[in-house]
Amino acid sequence: MEDHEILLKFQDPASRNLAFNQLVRKYQRKVYWHVRKMVVDHDDADDLTQDVFIKVWKHLENFRQDAQLFTWIYRIATNECLNFLGSKRRKFLLPLTDVGAELAAKMEADPALAGDEIELNLQKAILQLPDKQRLVFNLRYYDEMPYEQMAEVTGTSVGALKASYHHALKKVEDYVTRASE
Amino acid sequence: MKTAFKLDAHPRRPRPLLSEPPADYFDRLPTRVMSRLPGAAAAAPGWRWLAWLTPALRTGLASVAVLGGFAASFYLSGSPGAGAPVAATARLDAVPRTELVGYLLTSGARVETSDLAVLTAADPGFAQGFLHASADELTDALDAQPTEDQTYL
Repeated sequence: MEDHEILLKFQDPASRNLAFNQLVRKYQRKVYWHVRKMVVDHDDADDLTQDVFIKVWKHLENFRQDAQLFTWIYRIATNECLNFLGSKRRKFLLPLTDVGAELAAKMEADPALAGDEIELNLQKAILQLPDKQRLVFNLRYYDEMPYEQMAEVTGTSVGALKASYHHALKKVEDYVTRASE
Repeated sequence: MKTAFKLDAHPRRPRPLLSEPPADYFDRLPTRVMSRLPGAAAAAPGWRWLAWLTPALRTGLASVAVLGGFAASFYLSGSPGAGAPVAATARLDAVPRTELVGYLLTSGARVETSDLAVLTAADPGFAQGFLHASADELTDALDAQPTEDQTYL
């Protein structure tokens, strides 16, 4: 089902649930993996993914279609992730590096990464980045999202995003190089 | 000396190497999300307006409904029970005493002369109009009543 069709059906109370069910089915994987890359842990990603779609439900009626539906959903998911990581840091009074270390520990415990030292070092390098820079890195490197679309998701200018990605890339490469020596 | 790591030279993956979610995770997720929607799937159409009320208002409304239910059930169950004896007594008052006594003596209601004798002892003028017995006969009837000691021996 196309986005415009989903939105049209969502406006009609009789077909609203059906339309929203289609929306969840269409975007659940992208939202889940976008969140999972940020929080690493599956259970956290599961909770946040559900929260994202609940927020989408609450606000979809007011969606003005200035942006693409998926970009708008990505923005909600991004904010949920940043709020989650921020509240975790505030709750346990953790500095930035400790949250990164916690996520890295979860990453190391993941059996999918066992035996792949370079990949593990790459993931640990990414987790050392500040949350917003890590978000920019994920959107650009993994999702290959155009900068213009990233600007809509993050509310940051294209120039700032390019600079942020360049710095993130340099930090990641330096970290993996040092870790491999 | 090792060469510097370059991300461009590293095999690109669509996402980090993380373990996959459970096999049926994405089959179940839409249902789980739908079940968490605020009153969307579960509420009947006639009750959808409740979803727009604040939680505090919904709690208040529920309290009023419960208290109202109690009050209504108390009123409905209590009113016939309280009203009936008054009405029955009122109707009984309208029946002349002679008719009442005649009914009691002839209907097999196990009212005996000695019962009436007790009434006469309490109110000597009470029996004069309808009880055809002299004072001596009534006294004899009272004397014939067993004492409490005999009753409980």
